[in-house]
Amino acid sequence: MALFISFVILCLLAIVQTFVPYFVKRTVVFGVSIPEQMIQDARVRSYKKQYLLITVMVSLFMILFFCIWVATKKPSDDLLILISTVIEFVIIFISLALFYYFREKMKQYKKEMQWEGELKQVAVVDLSARSEEQLPPWAIYLFPIIVTMGLIGYTFYQYDLLPNEIPIHWGPSGEPDAFTKKTPFSAIQMLVLLLLLQLMFLGIQLGIKVSGIKLSATNLSASKNRQLTLRKSSSWFSYYTVLLITMLIVYFQLATIHPERFQDSQLKILIPLGFFILILAGTVVFMVKVGRSDKREPDSLYSSIMDINDDRYWKAGLFYFNKNDPSIFVEKRFGVGWTLNLANPIGYIIIFLPLFFILLITFLFN
Amino acid sequence: MIIRIDPESEVPIYIQLTNQIIEGIAKGELKPGDALPSVRAFAADLGVNMHTVNKSYHELEKKGIIEIVPKSGAVIRRHLHMDSNTYERLYRSFIPHIAEALVLGMSKEEMMKLVKKIINDLKED
Repeated sequence: MALFISFVILCLLAIVQTFVPYFVKRTVVFGVSIPEQMIQDARVRSYKKQYLLITVMVSLFMILFFCIWVATKKPSDDLLILISTVIEFVIIFISLALFYYFREKMKQYKKEMQWEGELKQVAVVDLSARSEEQLPPWAIYLFPIIVTMGLIGYTFYQYDLLPNEIPIHWGPSGEPDAFTKKTPFSAIQMLVLLLLLQLMFLGIQLGIKVSGIKLSATNLSASKNRQLTLRKSSSWFSYYTVLLITMLIVYFQLATIHPERFQDSQLKILIPLGFFILILAGTVVFMVKVGRSDKREPDSLYSSIMDINDDRYWKAGLFYFNKNDPSIFVEKRFGVGWTLNLANPIGYIIIFLPLFFILLITFLFN
Repeated sequence: MIIRIDPESEVPIYIQLTNQIIEGIAKGELKPGDALPSVRAFAADLGVNMHTVNKSYHELEKKGIIEIVPKSGAVIRRHLHMDSNTYERLYRSFIPHIAEALVLGMSKEEMMKLVKKIINDLKED
């Protein structure tokens, strides 16, 4: 079980890291913005290709090494998970190092070619984009929140049924492997954490809604399509994640209150495994959907304009810091998804306030 | 409607916004009763400061082109006839341009042609 999970995670990570330059917005190569006209430039393409080849070889080598190690040493589950985590970090670290290597090369090349001098920078807004946007209504989050609150009530109602040792952690086989003493708080601790998590995801969805729809001046229709797809898909994907997590925790809580009902049930393995597979499948669908959404060629290529060069707002190519931009989240420069506008305090509140409470509850009450 | 901003232009961004919105209404890309995006959303989409958009909306409100309705935000107003105050304001704002054209040697006929051309361009697409 642990081997299967580790192996799938490793492979998926390798695939994602390898193809990242191809998921990313077309006009951003290794965190350097380039004019739409230069996307097909031979040097630019060869950098992407080199990154892909090196990452694929490193990842294959690491996975092969992992497989041989498992086959010869037959390690315990704990050791196996530890080593696979280390390997995951090695893959991430190497691809990050490659990112910076090619970023430097891209920067130099961009300077050499002097693209900026010849092209006028233009910022674009489509006033109708907001009305075409189809974000799910925030009220759908009420459903998992109400379920969680209902279960908190039910837990207190059935408080006597709860065992004296409340499970707080479950192993890969779906069996609890860590416990804490029964108190009114520890009985609902999982559900309170779940509630905080739901509120955080709700905050993220609201944050996405007020963040800018950033269009490309040179490729309006494709960039609009990408932005709307990214916003819609990530909103639904976070809702999907919240629903799955809610189902998992609700199952654990019910299994704690009524252990006899789930005693010999297949659910014990099926639910955690199903959760894991559904999350992975959702991630892949999300990335492919967003990755494909701006591959359309531009309708008409204006030769004299380019997008605003916002490279200076991207610290180290990865961190966005722009005081003028009221957006809370912006599309990532490398990878698929969102990153915080570090100049906007609301973003910190949405992400770190719930995390702070989660840590507080975890450490203070145990 | 698409709005394009040149941040390096000598024309301040809020004036570029104001002018393009007015042109959009003249062209029929924006219609009376349509709501403009909220200041926050507009500024986020453009990646500019909220004050910039706010300033532009106030400018438009002062000119009587939009009205700020609680809850619906900035809504484009309908104008069926022109009141004398607006007429006076426009009259005064045309003077420097027409004077400049005369000084630079434009004839009355050429000027009529120019006005016709601009109206046609706006009404065409």
